[in-house]
Amino acid sequence: MTAPLRTLPAALDDAARTGEGFVFVSGTTERRRSYAELQDASRRFARLLLARGLRRGDLVALVVSDSDQFLTALLGASIAGMVPASLYPPATTTEFAHYLSATAGTLRSSGARAIVTSGSFAAAIAGLQSSCPDLALVISWDGWQGAADPHSLCPDISLDEVAFVQFTSGSTSEPRGVEITHRSLSANIEAINGPMGLGTSASDAAVSWLPLYHDMGLVGMALGAMYAGRPAVLMTPATFVKRPVEWLRAISRHRGTVSFAPNFAYDLCVRRVKERELEGLDLSCWRVAGCGGEPIHAATLSAFARKFAPVGFRETSFLPSYGLAEHVLAATFPPRGRAVRVAHLPGHLDIVSCGSPLPDHQLRIVNEEGLDVGERCTGEITLAGPSVMRGYQGAGELTAQTIRNGWLHTGDLGFLDEGELFVCGRIKDLLVVNGRKYHPQDLEWALDELAGVRRGRAVAFGLSRAGTADRVVIVIEPSGTVDGAALAHAIRQRVSETCGVYVDEIVPVPTGTIGRTTSGKVQRIATRLQYERGELRSR
Amino acid sequence: MPPPPSTAVADAVVEILKNVSRRPIEPTPASDLIADLGFDSLQVMETVAELEDRFGLSIPAEDVPAARTVAQVTARVEALLQARRLS
Repeated sequence: MTAPLRTLPAALDDAARTGEGFVFVSGTTERRRSYAELQDASRRFARLLLARGLRRGDLVALVVSDSDQFLTALLGASIAGMVPASLYPPATTTEFAHYLSATAGTLRSSGARAIVTSGSFAAAIAGLQSSCPDLALVISWDGWQGAADPHSLCPDISLDEVAFVQFTSGSTSEPRGVEITHRSLSANIEAINGPMGLGTSASDAAVSWLPLYHDMGLVGMALGAMYAGRPAVLMTPATFVKRPVEWLRAISRHRGTVSFAPNFAYDLCVRRVKERELEGLDLSCWRVAGCGGEPIHAATLSAFARKFAPVGFRETSFLPSYGLAEHVLAATFPPRGRAVRVAHLPGHLDIVSCGSPLPDHQLRIVNEEGLDVGERCTGEITLAGPSVMRGYQGAGELTAQTIRNGWLHTGDLGFLDEGELFVCGRIKDLLVVNGRKYHPQDLEWALDELAGVRRGRAVAFGLSRAGTADRVVIVIEPSGTVDGAALAHAIRQRVSETCGVYVDEIVPVPTGTIGRTTSGKVQRIATRLQYERGELRSR
Repeated sequence: MPPPPSTAVADAVVEILKNVSRRPIEPTPASDLIADLGFDSLQVMETVAELEDRFGLSIPAEDVPAARTVAQVTARVEALLQARRLS
């Protein structure tokens, strides 16, 4: 019943025999690439890597925005026995210089031996080599030719080797590379595609606009389809973000059956798809409308269902799910074809059920002592089973803090009700804006050199809001007599250039208000609680 | 259709920015979309789509990061309109 576990190259081998493949969509252009063609290109890329002197187990970083190139490089590195590692590409709203310095930091700390890059930033990335001693090779996609040398491939990769490393955020302060073995990858994909997950069959076609440097796009959509030997339509994120209706048009045109996206994507469709754009859409084929990756709002899902019911969308297609990169991707699914189950908690937004753990996977809700709490009691979500990551690359201590006795501590808060998971917050103080995670420390560090802010006296945190991005708040102790409005402008400018995020509120407080831990770190949670209780006195 | 005069372009840009923003904003030519008007990357792209629709343009993705202020956005739209008139 359970499919045998397969390495990435073995799954590509199987997929290449199906005649299926990917369709890449960018703007109004579409290009089909069969799995056999992809395998052929990946093998040529693998030979190039070997010909350039890279060895088995070397880390090959990918900063490649084109989906075809990204997948060819990822699979090519894998076929050559190397470890591909996806990095975030530059965001449109971040200053490029800051992006480059963050990327250099990630390359150094990961010990990457090569970086594959393309497009307009290839030259700038190439310039990083001098500051990254391990980085032996920079491969610009645009100049790439297949290597002729018949280097032998398929060096008998075992399921327990690392299939890829995924950097979970663009953080400068804490770049974290999640190591996923072939065994975990395959186990998670089989569980996702299996009868308790998507129930994938020979009539399925995936459609996705999600970035491939993110777990939901890479594992859930692209590799999930490839392991199942089914087609997948992969649209560039920019195409979707510019015109959200293009996502729905691709589903309609390709008769897509499975498509996943974070909550904000459904919200964008509700707000931005115009009445006249509904014409010609037929979403009756869409049997699994997955939602995950950030808090799910019941109101967003029902607004989407109302708006698109006239063009065939069924509310029972929604499949809210919970997962994280440290668990490959998925951890829980509710039964398919069921109405979204909602819990109404006093003082909270309506919370959506994310369902039950995947088969052969375990979930416990624990308190601070690591003991199980009862049903309907909130605690930390912990996970065990074949999908737990091997660890954070090169960070043994952090890994030991995160995986204890085989249990992955997610840092997310939730409760169980009749065995189903409801996610209700985070322990880790990450900011989440439009599905992208930001470390508060990055925002705080950005203000270190800013005139008018006492050095090291800035605290950033996010407040969850209904149906939208976190509200980003920065509390500062001003120094000197800088004009308040000018300082607020300077802070917003600096944070937006450095981190690409808008600061909703700036709270200046008297000197000595922001507490410090014994190790000298700012007390972020204490400051946030003071803010929430209205105890922060403006200066 | 005669080319719109540039004040019309500037007015249309401001109108689109006000529609796309979900905050009460008063854009001036010097306003930075992200730092001053609070636009996130999604709203920047929404603005691009709205400008394309309004002026019947195709705005290349590479143009997006370069235009940060209202004046720069207006100038970019005018340049694209000018290029279309000349072609």
